[in-house]
Amino acid sequence: MYDVAIIGSGPAGLSAAVYAKRAELSTVVIEKEYMGTGQIAQSSRVDNYLGLYGENGFDLGEKFLAHAQAVGAEFTEAEIIEMIPDSESYILKTSDGKEISARTVIYAAGTKRRRLEIKGESEFLSKGISFCAVCDGSFYANKTVAVIGGGDTALSDALYLSQIAKKVYIIHRREVFRANEALQKAVKNTANIELILNAVPVEFIGDKKINSVKFIRNNEENILDADGVFIAIGSIPNSGLLKGIADIDESGYVIADENGITSAQGIFAAGDVRTKRLRQVITAAADGANCAESARIYLSQKRS
Amino acid sequence: MPVKANAQNFDEQIKEGIVIADFYSDSCVPCKRMSPILAEIEEENSDIKLVKINVNFDGSLAEKYEVMAAPTLIFFADGEERGRIRGTAKKSDILEIINKLR
Repeated sequence: MYDVAIIGSGPAGLSAAVYAKRAELSTVVIEKEYMGTGQIAQSSRVDNYLGLYGENGFDLGEKFLAHAQAVGAEFTEAEIIEMIPDSESYILKTSDGKEISARTVIYAAGTKRRRLEIKGESEFLSKGISFCAVCDGSFYANKTVAVIGGGDTALSDALYLSQIAKKVYIIHRREVFRANEALQKAVKNTANIELILNAVPVEFIGDKKINSVKFIRNNEENILDADGVFIAIGSIPNSGLLKGIADIDESGYVIADENGITSAQGIFAAGDVRTKRLRQVITAAADGANCAESARIYLSQKRS
Repeated sequence: MPVKANAQNFDEQIKEGIVIADFYSDSCVPCKRMSPILAEIEEENSDIKLVKINVNFDGSLAEKYEVMAAPTLIFFADGEERGRIRGTAKKSDILEIINKLR
């Protein structure tokens, strides 16, 4: 029986691991991806984590992982498929039939990319449609691509792709972007990025691979030719495991305050999966630390 | 040790036996994660040859084989494509395809 089981090894989970180990709690970090460090690994560049300016996301994740390993955190590669409340503990069932028991759970399972759910999206996935610009950008040297979305991810994807592709379109359903000002300015100053605003994609068209996007603007149908499409329209929280155990808001985020305390005894939520305003690496790391402290206090109260 | 292949030597590299062709990109995290798994498979299976194609440099091969996602693994048996995995895969999934080709 562990004191703390941490689900997810992104910045929130790894930070929780560091604090839990330093509090001398027996700790296991459970991550479904081999050596995974969460979504940050897919960022081409992180410019807003204090002290590590301009680091690429993969390297930043590796540093976090090495730090947690250095303090002696134990790691298990497994996907948790069910959480069962037991007497003052939780049993975590893995997809390969194992069970892990822990007195507390720090839930840092993050979010996954939202899909458009329109015609052709599944059909052309990995055949011209991608959710990862740094992974698949290099297939589009001197070609035309479209990025769909208007947040930080969409605009930084577009900037990354503008260095590879001949032309990058950003298709966004509103007039204004949600992305931060610095990204918006950079996009505006990039000659080969063109904006298509107030446009709602309705279908991806192609044969063996994608060749165009159909979108609606001003009640009119338009077709944009594109060799590749990158979808970056936000995320959905991976909170399914906690349904019926802890309170979840209408968007699927686990309801928890700054200390990570959820409605369920002994479960603490950290990182992007938690209800909060700013989902960034730095707030995820802070959440992890707070959750480890909350778990420590919870355990010491149980023992006294 | 995996063989680095390019458009010039690719056909020669895949023409005999069971070959896993790993189309990867330098900037691709899933590719970096897959790399040690593939190396392990090659080490543990003397009949398997691992060929790596960097799509940053060999766009023409990616185009020829219609590879549009990294990583993509293409499985060849005596030069003929017999299987394909797009994106990351577990070691057991890869071994399953290999076993069918044996």
